[in-house]
Amino acid sequence: MTPHAIVIGAGANGLVAAHTLARAGRRVLVLEQRQEIDGALDAGWVPPEVVSDLGLDRHGLRVVRLDPWISVALPGGGRLELSQDAGRSAEAIRRVSPADAAKWPAFCRRMHRLAGFLEALYAVPAPDVETRDLRELARLAGLGLKARRLGKEAIVDLLRVLPMSVAELLDDWFEHDGLKAALGAGGVLHLRQGPRSGGTAFVMLHHHVGSPPGVFRPPLSNMVEVLARLPGVEARRGARVVRITVANGRATGVVLASGEQITASVVASSADPRATLLGLLEPGWLDPEFARAVRGIKCRGVAARVILTVARDPGFSTLAVAPSLEYLERAYDDAKYGAMSRHPYLEARVEDGRVVVHVQYAPYTLADGAWDDARRRALGDLVVERLGEHAPALRQVVTGCDVITPQDLAERGGLTEGNAYHGELTLDQVLFMRPVPGWSRYRTPIPGLYLCGAGSHPGGGIAGAAGRLAARQILKEVAE
Amino acid sequence: MPSASRYDAIVVGGGHNGLVNAAYLARAGRRVLVLERRPRVGGAAVTEEVFPGFKFSMFSYVVSLLRPEIIRDLDLPGHGLHILPLESTLTPMENGDYLAAWADHDETRRELYRHSPRDADAYDEYGRLMHFMAHAVKPILGMVPPDPTSLHPRDLIGLLRLGRHFRGLGAEKLHALVKLMTMSSADFLDEWFETDVLKATKSASGIIGTFLGPRSPGTAYVLLHHYMGELDGVFRAWGFAKGGTGSVSEAIAGAARRFGAEIRTDAAVARVLVTRGRATGVVLENGDEIRAKAVVSSLDPRRTFLQLLESDGLPDDFVEAIRRFKFRGSSGKVNLALGALPNFTCMPGPGRHLRGAVSISPSLEYVERAYDDAKYGEFSRRPYLDIVIPSMIDPGMAPPGKHVMSIFVQYAPYHLNGGWSDARREAFGDAVIDAVARFAPNLKSIILHRQVLTPADIERVTGLTEGNIFQGELALHQLFFLRPAPSWARYRTPVRALYQCGAGTHPGGGIMGASGRLAALAMLGDGA
Repeated sequence: MTPHAIVIGAGANGLVAAHTLARAGRRVLVLEQRQEIDGALDAGWVPPEVVSDLGLDRHGLRVVRLDPWISVALPGGGRLELSQDAGRSAEAIRRVSPADAAKWPAFCRRMHRLAGFLEALYAVPAPDVETRDLRELARLAGLGLKARRLGKEAIVDLLRVLPMSVAELLDDWFEHDGLKAALGAGGVLHLRQGPRSGGTAFVMLHHHVGSPPGVFRPPLSNMVEVLARLPGVEARRGARVVRITVANGRATGVVLASGEQITASVVASSADPRATLLGLLEPGWLDPEFARAVRGIKCRGVAARVILTVARDPGFSTLAVAPSLEYLERAYDDAKYGAMSRHPYLEARVEDGRVVVHVQYAPYTLADGAWDDARRRALGDLVVERLGEHAPALRQVVTGCDVITPQDLAERGGLTEGNAYHGELTLDQVLFMRPVPGWSRYRTPIPGLYLCGAGSHPGGGIAGAAGRLAARQILKEVAE
Repeated sequence: MPSASRYDAIVVGGGHNGLVNAAYLARAGRRVLVLERRPRVGGAAVTEEVFPGFKFSMFSYVVSLLRPEIIRDLDLPGHGLHILPLESTLTPMENGDYLAAWADHDETRRELYRHSPRDADAYDEYGRLMHFMAHAVKPILGMVPPDPTSLHPRDLIGLLRLGRHFRGLGAEKLHALVKLMTMSSADFLDEWFETDVLKATKSASGIIGTFLGPRSPGTAYVLLHHYMGELDGVFRAWGFAKGGTGSVSEAIAGAARRFGAEIRTDAAVARVLVTRGRATGVVLENGDEIRAKAVVSSLDPRRTFLQLLESDGLPDDFVEAIRRFKFRGSSGKVNLALGALPNFTCMPGPGRHLRGAVSISPSLEYVERAYDDAKYGEFSRRPYLDIVIPSMIDPGMAPPGKHVMSIFVQYAPYHLNGGWSDARREAFGDAVIDAVARFAPNLKSIILHRQVLTPADIERVTGLTEGNIFQGELALHQLFFLRPAPSWARYRTPVRALYQCGAGTHPGGGIMGASGRLAALAMLGDGA
């Protein structure tokens, strides 16, 4: 039986879209190029709507909030640990800066309020500022009212903080370098910008959405695994889509790498917009202006992942190398000119006998050539060395090292430029500008073709939100 | 003189905004007194004979943003304002080539074609878009910002009008505007052009007066700000004021006097007098008290609220907002008296290119690296420079056969590691001369005198806090209804009868005069 809808990609967003469609009675086929189900914990806040719509909590959803969520190595030895409990964090901050500890509660309160506003924006399609539709206008007015009800201080914060650089924001509040770096690093995750770049305060808040006050990193979850085992949709693994077929201007299905054709009246792609629209469509179907906008999506991967296998406990559960905002900014400077940061930002956590390290900045495009094994090895060594400076035991216990660069993500996972967020979270690429201006409602110029991945509102780092909203849009537009 | 108010308003500071404000108040029949600390009016728009026979627009050196309605309302041409066009830009490149933009559009296109046929095609479309965007944003420059936190009908209507204005642009232009407001100039230009030197030169205009690099988000907006230059109705035309930028100030002062304003120089204001929450006059540094029904300060927000006033009379959140307002001066100026003309290797000999600007911005990376130095508290070893030779167009600026060269320099951080000293100033001057001499090797041999101005010098002479030429950075979070502080962007202040009219208020810097005018209209609207 031919499916109503094909969903490309079995990540969190693809699967949420698929299950949302299936619950509404559509026959859905999910096509995933990878063979095996990835059992690893994935970072990203799972919105409550996604959990309740699909009953994920009844199917074994496990949300892990690291506690402490960050442990910054201090240059003079010792750590600054920030916990899930803002009060405990305040205690830790007091030991390094009483002045900062005094400001901590107010900072947490104000940032949490802003993140709450973002959370409300993320639960619904992006506001359509050009609309003439009365319902949408009413919704816009509702958002305006919501903002107003937050009070004067919050409105000012909203207008002032979002476009700011996270460095300026934190300099306004705090004095301790380690504290500022711990918070500031959240403003540059997966972003090819440094903490002094405008718009990074927004990114810090983006990563705060859904977390308790004082926690500025999203939790981890086994969501993809839970969704993959959830009954209701057919999923084919090892099925790589190479083309989306179009007839008479409408999407009609897909062609797999094997040459097999599958037809469906709806194709929803959770691959990133550039990979979908420029990689899977015949170029002739898009008008040049739209194609240009898609090509212009900034998608510059800068994060590498290093996975160290260890023989014994390395002496920490989580460890971050981020001594100061200047350190982060200098790490960015290297990447700006196409080089690996000599002193990168590192965020490591221990998970099932492995140390998983987020490394930034490792640019997708290197000015002096491509990523090769020598460079990968050098990056692995660099990570062990830098972490080892703060956790000497590590050097002795490392038995293996797997380095995944943005180039690897691009080649293995099909991520354009290896950007895990399917498009950088810069202010010109969020809300009604995501994935491209004017096309924030998951549609594309090809009827029947939808985008349901992190490249669409509300973007990366939020598990399943785009998939859910895209599916609801499809259900609204496409009759059975 | 008894202390009864002889004046309706006292304007603190005789820079161009203060003078515009005074002129508009006087034109409406108010008795106005302008108090200027220095021996001459103009603030940062002054012409001084720094070396005998050599006159310089000491700080601000080109005119383009001066609002046409001000030129008209105050009849500035009738008071001696004469703008000479500055039509070309030459950018020497590291490889000995150059990129030139000429007054003649077709010639510019041909020149660009030499570098990239694709860019030559995109150039017209880009120009049209920027032209349109400048038109779209222009009304906002002439608008008193509504207060988004207020429920007053006036503010709600203002917000609604603003929303309508933006929606009226249509989807495509609205998206372009959002991009301009949020992107880095380098990213924005990357969408249009491929020629690096073109992007470098264009993005350089996006960083002027900011503490940002071409790859920093927020700089694309400044790109537009500089496109809004409007001169005799011609967009994007820059010019010199005949006699230097001081003559712009003189013309405005002339207009103000004609309308009856009194202007006193060598009269530094020490304090604003406040009685029961109301401004009642000022105290001069010599102890004289002068009373007035209203006081308006054209000084920057930090000077106005943290120096002229006792801050304990102000609301805490307001004082906090003013303290947080970012200045971070990043530009310097080098003024040279020359015995002959510089000879640029890429375009040898004297020629029409010397009548325009020469931009030292050979590549995006060059400008970005200049910023990197400043980011960590050093002046740029190889700075971005905007060079003009006013004596080529206005021979009265230098003795016969000799020339004056004005070099705008970025970056020179106000907060230099270890602080500015005479030695650091000279080292900075040397770096600037070296940067020019790489492209015009004869420069060093033709210098007769040089004046080096660091941000610290700009602050000392003009009073501009941290030497910021815009009275506060033109960053997104310091614009429009946030300039200089939320809820206080309508030229009023928490002190009754005290107003602000400097570039630290909307719409901000450049020799624009809009702040001065809008403040005057707000005061007149209040019945001041």
